[in-house]
Amino acid sequence: MSDRTTIPFGPQHPVLPEPIQLKLTLENETVKEAVPHIGYVHRGVEKAGERMDYTQNVFLVERICGICSFIHALCYCQGIERLMGAEVPPRARYLRVIWSELHRLQSHHLWLGLLADALGFESLFMEFWRNRERLMDIFEKTAGSRVIISTCTIGGVRRDIVPEDLEMILRELDALEKALDVAVNGILEDRTVKKRLVGKGVLPAGQAIVLGAVGPVLRASGVPVDARTDGFAAYGELGIEPIVETGGDSYARTRVRARECYQSIELVRKAIANIPEGDVIIRPRGRPNGRAFSRVEQPRGELIYFISADGSTRLDRLRIRTPTSANVPALVAMLPGCEMADVPVITLSIDPCISCTER
Amino acid sequence: MTMLIRRILGNLLAKPATRPFPVVSREPAPGYRGAVEFQQENCVFCGACALRCPANAIEVDRASKVLRFDLFRCIHCACCAEACKRGCVQLRPAYHPPVFERPEFEFSGAPVVASESRPAD
Repeated sequence: MSDRTTIPFGPQHPVLPEPIQLKLTLENETVKEAVPHIGYVHRGVEKAGERMDYTQNVFLVERICGICSFIHALCYCQGIERLMGAEVPPRARYLRVIWSELHRLQSHHLWLGLLADALGFESLFMEFWRNRERLMDIFEKTAGSRVIISTCTIGGVRRDIVPEDLEMILRELDALEKALDVAVNGILEDRTVKKRLVGKGVLPAGQAIVLGAVGPVLRASGVPVDARTDGFAAYGELGIEPIVETGGDSYARTRVRARECYQSIELVRKAIANIPEGDVIIRPRGRPNGRAFSRVEQPRGELIYFISADGSTRLDRLRIRTPTSANVPALVAMLPGCEMADVPVITLSIDPCISCTER
Repeated sequence: MTMLIRRILGNLLAKPATRPFPVVSREPAPGYRGAVEFQQENCVFCGACALRCPANAIEVDRASKVLRFDLFRCIHCACCAEACKRGCVQLRPAYHPPVFERPEFEFSGAPVVASESRPAD
């Protein structure tokens, strides 16, 4: 006789930094079905984006996600610049790459720390978060704020980074890389951690594509898709190879993110080595008119903005598709068949950002 | 794991990674967008700061020459400082002290209303 129980996982759960509910149908200890319920942190950002001035929206979209605020602003600004036909100065494009990659680095550090915390590995959690402080200090010194850095704007960036600060970033990254070696070794090579991650929440490549998974979730299934290969900002000049793992499980997703940390460090170094001189901002004339799609790679995956404007100071429509909303179907497909005790780790393995998803 | 154990043992013997706040406090970086300060003697109440503020934290009444600033709405983006041609608004690298009540900041022009910090002539 089947003995099925339905239990709510979340919206408040120690492993979840943000509220999402999964209604889990269990048969003994095995998950048979997972139904997600979202809507706890809806803020109406898209509607607010239609009411505010298009230049002020930069600060609004940054607040969709605190962990990758710069990349949201970058995506929005690129869309508006496309509508206005503005050419961003080369130095600004390189600065955008530097801040984007630093944001990716701190986001991955945050996630790796949270994963260690979810596994009960407190000292490793603190290790990652201590390393992350270096990045937050870099933001404070270069951008004037630690979380919502507000440096990206339409037509370029609002601040330049002086050569001394670029050198400071390089020094900090050298120290960070050494510390990262220790921490990453602790999460990827540890026997107990591997036991909790290897083979949990497997997502085959075919299914990942069908379900529309993005970012590290997709790349961990062996699909080399990364929006940065499109060459927005200065990525085209710097060159980028998507980081791919083939396991498709929680361990592969962890590996992808850990390797992306090193990739981001390399990209920042390359950008600093090749940064051209010149202006960092142009003031585009006129107002945006028309429709544009903008696509960038967030730490969690592909971020898409659709902007429709009619030549006034306010936008017609601002539509935001965040990576977590694309990864939730993949999560629902990963869960059936797993043990109840693995649900927190598998849920965390997609790096859920619910505030992003619900906007 | 051996690398991490070495690190953990090192941490045990090392000093705390955090500062003994409030005995030792950390100064914000020089370019930090912190405390918002208005230099009311130079203000001409043009309203440029209020127009650019994404959070509607500044309100300027041009007719009666009054500027109101709501610190709780402020997002410290420094748009006002960029918009002000006369350099009346600045964001100093300092933290706002915590408050128990909503701070009300308001000044009006010609004659300048003396605030508490401004001694009477």
